[in-house]
Amino acid sequence: MNIDKIMTDGLAFALPLFIMAIGGIYSERSGVTMLSIEGFQGFGAFVGAITVVILRTAMGASPDWLIYIATLAAVLGGMLLALLNALMVIKLKSKMTIAGVVINILAVALTSFLSSVITGAVTGQATTKIQLSVAPRYTIPGLSKIPVIGGLFQNIYPFAFIIIVVAALAWYVLYKTRYGLRLRAGGDNPHSLDAAGVDVNKLRFSAVVLAGGFAGLGGMAFTYTVANFSPASYVGYGYLSIAALIFGNWNISTTFWTSMFFGFSRSFSDQLVNELGLSSNYSDLFSVMPYVLTLIVLIFFSKHNRPPRALGEHFDKGKR
Amino acid sequence: MAEPIVELRNITKRFPGIVANDNVTLDIKKGEIFALLGENGAGKSTLMSILFGMYEPDEGQIFVRGKEVHLTSSKDAAALNIGMVHQHFKLVSNYTITENIVLGDEPLKRFGPFSWVDLKGASEKIRALSLEYGLEVNPNDKIQDLQVSTQQRVEILKMLYRDAEILIFDEPTSVLTPQEIEYLLDIMEELRRGGKTIILITHKLEEIKRVADRCGILLRGKLVGIYDVATTTTQRMANLMVGKEVDFSVDKPDHEFGEVVLDVSNVTVYNDLKVKVVDDVSLEVRKGEILAIAGVSGNGQVDIADAIAGLQNISEGSITLNGEEISNLSIKERIAKGISYIPEDRQKEGLVMDLNLRDNLAIKTFDREPFSKKGVLQPNAFEDQAVDLIDRYDIRSGQGSQTITRSMSGGNQQKAIIAREVELDSDLLIFVQPTRGLDVGAIANIHQQILDQRALGKAILLVSLELDEVMALADTISVVFRGQILKTDDARNLSKEEVGQYMMGVTK
Ligand SMILES: Nc1ncnc2c1ncn2[C@@H]1O[C@H](COP(=O)(O)OP(=O)(O)OP(=O)(O)O)[C@@H](O)[C@H]1O
Ligand SMILES: [Mg+2]
Repeated sequence: MNIDKIMTDGLAFALPLFIMAIGGIYSERSGVTMLSIEGFQGFGAFVGAITVVILRTAMGASPDWLIYIATLAAVLGGMLLALLNALMVIKLKSKMTIAGVVINILAVALTSFLSSVITGAVTGQATTKIQLSVAPRYTIPGLSKIPVIGGLFQNIYPFAFIIIVVAALAWYVLYKTRYGLRLRAGGDNPHSLDAAGVDVNKLRFSAVVLAGGFAGLGGMAFTYTVANFSPASYVGYGYLSIAALIFGNWNISTTFWTSMFFGFSRSFSDQLVNELGLSSNYSDLFSVMPYVLTLIVLIFFSKHNRPPRALGEHFDKGKR
Repeated sequence: MAEPIVELRNITKRFPGIVANDNVTLDIKKGEIFALLGENGAGKSTLMSILFGMYEPDEGQIFVRGKEVHLTSSKDAAALNIGMVHQHFKLVSNYTITENIVLGDEPLKRFGPFSWVDLKGASEKIRALSLEYGLEVNPNDKIQDLQVSTQQRVEILKMLYRDAEILIFDEPTSVLTPQEIEYLLDIMEELRRGGKTIILITHKLEEIKRVADRCGILLRGKLVGIYDVATTTTQRMANLMVGKEVDFSVDKPDHEFGEVVLDVSNVTVYNDLKVKVVDDVSLEVRKGEILAIAGVSGNGQVDIADAIAGLQNISEGSITLNGEEISNLSIKERIAKGISYIPEDRQKEGLVMDLNLRDNLAIKTFDREPFSKKGVLQPNAFEDQAVDLIDRYDIRSGQGSQTITRSMSGGNQQKAIIAREVELDSDLLIFVQPTRGLDVGAIANIHQQILDQRALGKAILLVSLELDEVMALADTISVVFRGQILKTDDARNLSKEEVGQYMMGVTK
């Protein structure tokens, strides 16, 4: 079996999942139920991809650094959709779960509509499938030669580095800074924040928008691993990241490990299918393995897990 | 005493359908303990929330230290050194004491572009404060592991940490045991000696007598007057706050008890955490008898009541009602057999807070005739019953049968529950802490209701933390300690002091 490949692919899958889960953690720890990671990641990736198309056409060339512009655009795109979500749940006080589902449906519809309109206008050829260049990959000399885990250091996407830095920052902000202390209080007892003179709704608003940014980053990373974006890119990774954060008990460091668990169980099952040379019917069966594992894991662990106490409750000053 | 530190001028605050504060003018002097007294719903919490910046008044002015101020959030109040301990604590349960105290006013440490919350430094400051005022806490404990009295200390420390000079306490003693109350009142006096100004909201007149200098009385949102505590009797305070003569005498004629209605024998209960909370308890309640379970909070008394009502399973023993075993029946079946239950937490277990009064009053009988016929609800029957009960039990609310119960004052919520439960006409009535947080008028009213049920020959089980209430009402007293019944005796044979001793586990 190709251990190196399992390691490489596992990490490439796990890291975007992890950063998206961090987005969910930010939102949920502030008290806002977050089901729209899926929509944020898709919409963010779309904005990234379409930015590439526009710049590529304008410049007539496709330099490597476009990938960073795309990433930035994806983050902003995710935040944009998250802004809408935040308006719905915080300003208009719509039900958080319903808003999440609406955002996800909206994202799919909006991206297929917009991508044909924009590609049509920019390139003259309307399509919902946006081809991207292949991302550069890096191998770290020395480390990549370590037996078994050497694969972790081979063929790394540039996103891996970005995600690791952003995730470390996100951890620091959530657990060490003033903003983080307040954010986590919002999901447990928002009235305590209000009594301390902190604007709960503003805080939650910012947490949801940040969640959109994290999800956009994850979405762009996924998109570059397949080198194209289409509405078919919505394949449930957003939901999987939510499972990862629940399994990770709404805690960033635990969620790191659960994301890794999902990532490697997926690359392992992919390799298994390859190795055994199974027909596509069976390979499908194996591809559901990570999801079945998720289900089993959640059944056993969700009992011990503690969602934030005020999760899903709108904050209303007057309510007694 | 010194100049006024706070002046409220013509404060008016309206909520839908009600004027919570109606043109209230009062001033508070520096260094005094000022008590605020009033019936449930009189507007005390609202008035103080205005001073703390949580609500903005519709009309009126606020002066602090002689200067007019406009408070739009509690931050503004904190900047003026005003602090408040709310009726319902506002603490983050999975945070440490330190994290809770610094929240909103975090000390930072910096390095380059990075800054982080200096929890270590804060912990030390909190430790020092807690020593200075005798408020013992361990700054690194988590709130969820603390008893209520310790949580309250955290709330007090929170104010002191922010250098509050004006300290508002909203019903701080309703959650404390008698010993803890003494301790808290001592701390208040200590704070006054330290030059702090204290505003104390409470329903307990003895506490006002014990610590307060002056007392402002609110009645239906209006200020009745401000009185010198030293020269005003508690009876007069009570009369002023209710607006009429309050009768504290209890009329409890001796009578013969009938046959046994409730028989609990050798019952053991484990809670969700598999801890034994009720340990081999036996008791009997007869027709026309009030059996009171006395004890310090958390000694299993509520679990006994819950086990009888069916909210908790028993692991050993038997419970019979009129000779019939009920320990395997569902809650609903037990209600049908004749158990009425007035729970400790009226908001969680007694009422559906977002339903209206009419539906709450029918919530145990909606599936019976005449409220439903062949599975179809009969709204007219609901309405008729609500109108009748609101009238007979004097349940006051903004919009009658249509009032959402959440907006009702605590006393009226309790009246609604009692009306519903008494109307079930059950053989056994269980009252758990029936007067917690209620004003003296409402308490007298509820005590009368309980005695009326006794006169009708009902069996009554009363669980109360208030020793005075137990002594006033009980025919028989059982004292619980650590889940066991230490002593059961005719109430006439026991003095208040003796019961108090048993409550502490002293068996002589
Ligand atoms: N946020 C709110 N929305 C609607 N009505 C309210 C609100 N807050 C208070 N009220 C109403 O205003 C009135 C005064 O309430 P407040 O809480 O000030 O009474 P209180 O004197 O503190 O009573 P208690 O002794 O029961 O605590 C009550 O009738 C209450 O129902
Ligand atoms: Mg109040």
